[in-house]
Amino acid sequence: MRKVLTGFLIYGLPIPLLLYSLTVGPSQGLVFADYWDWGKAALNGGIHENSTKVYMLNNIIENVRLPRVLLTFIIGAGLASSGGALQGIFRNPLVDPYVLGISSGSAFGAALAIAFPLLHINVMAFVLGVASVIMTYSFAFSNNKSSIVAVILSGMIVSGIFTASLTVVQYISDPYKLQAIVQWTMGNLHHASWDKLNTAALPVGIGIVGMYLMRWRLNLLALGEQEAKAVGVNPTADKATLVALATLTTSTSVAAAGVISMYGLFIPHLTRMMVGPDNRKAMPANIFFGGSFLVIIDNFSRSLMDFEIPIGIFTMLLGAPFFLFLMKKNKINWV
Amino acid sequence: MTDVAIEVENLSFGYGKTPILERVDVAFPANRFSVLLGRNGSGKSTLFNIMAGLQKYQYGSVKLMGKERSKMSFSDCARVLGFLPQFHKSVFPFQVKDVVLTGRAAFSAFSPKKSDMEKVGQAIEELGISHLADRPYTELSGGEQQLVMIARVLVQNPRIILLDEPTNHLDVYYQTYVLEKLKKLTENDLTVIAIMHDPNMAFLYADQCYFMKDKTVVTPTEAFDYHDSNFLEYVYDVHFTTVQVNNKMMVVPGRKIN
Repeated sequence: MRKVLTGFLIYGLPIPLLLYSLTVGPSQGLVFADYWDWGKAALNGGIHENSTKVYMLNNIIENVRLPRVLLTFIIGAGLASSGGALQGIFRNPLVDPYVLGISSGSAFGAALAIAFPLLHINVMAFVLGVASVIMTYSFAFSNNKSSIVAVILSGMIVSGIFTASLTVVQYISDPYKLQAIVQWTMGNLHHASWDKLNTAALPVGIGIVGMYLMRWRLNLLALGEQEAKAVGVNPTADKATLVALATLTTSTSVAAAGVISMYGLFIPHLTRMMVGPDNRKAMPANIFFGGSFLVIIDNFSRSLMDFEIPIGIFTMLLGAPFFLFLMKKNKINWV
Repeated sequence: MTDVAIEVENLSFGYGKTPILERVDVAFPANRFSVLLGRNGSGKSTLFNIMAGLQKYQYGSVKLMGKERSKMSFSDCARVLGFLPQFHKSVFPFQVKDVVLTGRAAFSAFSPKKSDMEKVGQAIEELGISHLADRPYTELSGGEQQLVMIARVLVQNPRIILLDEPTNHLDVYYQTYVLEKLKKLTENDLTVIAIMHDPNMAFLYADQCYFMKDKTVVTPTEAFDYHDSNFLEYVYDVHFTTVQVNNKMMVVPGRKIN
């Protein structure tokens, strides 16, 4: 019974959820009958001959909600699978994609682009996200070796440098730009468009598929470097590939939707509670459930209040108590 | 020369300027249970790491079944040799069968085949831990974990198994259990080489013992065999009294020398 339920949550939920999410939004005065009319018209292919209401609804769904829901789904899937992969690589359940410095690097890049419009925000966020991971890694290596503690420590320092730099940019920006920067760092999806989706889909897709293919290798890495070498596998190449895939996915997500912190931390924990630690099952669960859950959060964030709550903030407000509740209930003790 | 599993010739190694191994010459016979003994810091683990390929070496040669180790790739090496490192901890509560399955990673790159699962079944059956297959590895006792790790090495189908202190932290029951299983493995065309600390356990189970002292492998002179207390005193810097139990030589440690 439990198995069926988790199976449904992971694999059965996404499609109906995505369809339902198309009907969620702040637009007033739309009732179920309108969606029904739209659905019929869409099936008959005769939207343009139909009433203005159907035409308008079609516009909302096709150009506003559909790209937004799809973008939300791939970002959720990307952050969750990156988190799961990084926790395995670093054998540390406290790690999430932002520990390597990606978020603060990207946030600083985006802030620069907003304050001094020389380059595109997405490009800057991506470039600085990748740069911060490279920095984290190069600081952590000494004598061709790097310990897990060194990597995480170095990530925190790099993060700190970029956060400080971000504050400097905020400090010298005029109020209008400052507002844009602050909004961006809170994470937002209300600028979602087909353009953004098209830019993000390929890199995130590559990242997700790559991590999915490596899911069994991840089990091996999670047991430790010496243990991998002991059974004849050089873990360095596998690790580098997975970190690169996770960085690509995360920095693209941050570029598209701003900073959504903690999401990559707690979704892998939720899926481990559902399907266990074996990454052969946990990785697809991260992808599908990670996507669905962010769509659910986003549905709330745009329908709960008159104004839209930024997704990054709302993820914390909604996700964190839920996670704490599960943590208490399941009594997970990490050694 | 198929009767030698690992041949080490004139091997020297050091970290920076600190020498760890100096001119080591030793040959481990095939299909035997060999044990390497010696004091802490005498270079046992380093020698093992070099033989297992975890550590590169420059001076001297190490041959696995007649082939130079440094010229073998990781996965070639995995076909010949399985290695059980000293410390193993898992953070994630993987099931035992999933832990054992990772032993096949050098052979099935992206997802395990059905034959891999069968090998896992055989290995845990052989070690008598089939009942643990679905348990989380992190919840097992030290002795059970050690058996799981040995099963993980076995699924590689290696010709040689190196174990770094397989009986460490185990109670007498599991020490005996593990050593009996290791001894039995040599009957199936396997070479087992282990580092151990207790000379008496080694004398009880090993076909052959080797000793390390001052960065190299030392052999007793012709007149003395290694059960000789003088030789053991030289190796361990401790006085020994020898006793005879059921035709087996045992040693009882006494005062330390200096």
